[in-house]
Amino acid sequence: TGQDHTHQQWEDALTFVALKRDRQAYAELFNYFAPRLKAFGMKMFGNEQQALEMVQDTMLNVWKKAALFDASRGCASTWIFTIARNVRFDMLRKKQSRKDDISADDLWNGDYPESYAEEAADNWDIQLLSEKLAPHFSLLPPPQREVIEKVYLQEKTHQEVSDELAIPLGTVKSRIRLALDRLREALDGARN
Amino acid sequence: MAHAIKYHPGMALLEQFAEGCLNADVALAVAAHIDLCPHCQQLQRDITTDLAGRLMQQRLKPDNTNWDAMLSNIMSQQEPAARTEVIEVPAQQVQVAGREFTLPRALQRLASKHGKWLQLGGIATAKIPAGSDYHISLLYISKDTEVPQHTHLGLEMTLVLAGKIADENGEYCAGDLLINSPDDTHTPRTLPDEDCLCLSVLSAPLQFKKGLTRLLNPLQQFFY
Ligand SMILES: [Zn+2]
Ligand SMILES: [Zn+2]
Repeated sequence: TGQDHTHQQWEDALTFVALKRDRQAYAELFNYFAPRLKAFGMKMFGNEQQALEMVQDTMLNVWKKAALFDASRGCASTWIFTIARNVRFDMLRKKQSRKDDISADDLWNGDYPESYAEEAADNWDIQLLSEKLAPHFSLLPPPQREVIEKVYLQEKTHQEVSDELAIPLGTVKSRIRLALDRLREALDGARN
Repeated sequence: MAHAIKYHPGMALLEQFAEGCLNADVALAVAAHIDLCPHCQQLQRDITTDLAGRLMQQRLKPDNTNWDAMLSNIMSQQEPAARTEVIEVPAQQVQVAGREFTLPRALQRLASKHGKWLQLGGIATAKIPAGSDYHISLLYISKDTEVPQHTHLGLEMTLVLAGKIADENGEYCAGDLLINSPDDTHTPRTLPDEDCLCLSVLSAPLQFKKGLTRLLNPLQQFFY
């Protein structure tokens, strides 16, 4: 489908950069992600100079470390987002410049085996969902609510939702699991 | 892990963690919990995927950044060696009271720089130097030992790293993350046959409730 092509395209581009230092492939990645990372940085820093510093650092990492991208562990956009998140975190910490400080590596460098949560989301009873859970839909972050409504109320397939929203299929599945977890939290009472 | 972890950080906390917006000291406890908890590992993956999707779905405003300059600047940077090998560092052990513990990945680097163990009765504590807004320490409690009843002036996060601990509200095993807010009162204690190692993250001193407060004042210093 169209959308998965786009996401496949970013993975391929990263592979070309990793293997051949492919400038054309990198430029395509850059032109797509850099403005989006800047918008994200503006939201986080509220400051253009720092936002651009974050974009530069993130995209430099993408250029240099493309070989570390592993498509089996998530899509290209997720990988690039985590780099930006880590760069931003370390930028904020570096101001305090202490060697013993907590770094992004300490927090997010874990390497976990893929677990078995895949089916959990598919086993929910739709009847139960609409009756008991519908009142809680408003609690969901809008991106998750949007996916849940399309899948459970409009009965669209995950693939259709992925195409319609221009997000990877894996993102649709993640949002469904998260939404169900949030709704479960709303029903059972919050955890910590 | 043979038993299931029962006490997890809530979704809101996990979301802030994945976004990188959580206070770093609190984030360290959450990261260590995730290292121990397959359930939260999956949640963390899903949340990160969700956030990355939002990044891509943003509507872009017109913008006059000179992207071409940045692009050529980046591509003119020296190329790195083809593949960066990840160096495996052997897991560090922490020794206390004649016992040896392996810490979760998130704590390995920082906990290797822990301060000297201070001993008080069956309780020993060692500061981890990373804390800024919070005090981060390792807390070892011998078997059959009680931490005097206290209330919290701020946030207290306790991550059980090994063994078991209990209070009025339940029993906590390795991986369980307890969060106490100001005004929660409890009396943590170990069981008669099992000691316990915890990570403790405190935003303010504990306030001890029983006995002569004056006598317990040194205790405040000890834990904080
Ligand atoms: Zn958990
Ligand atoms: Zn406490």
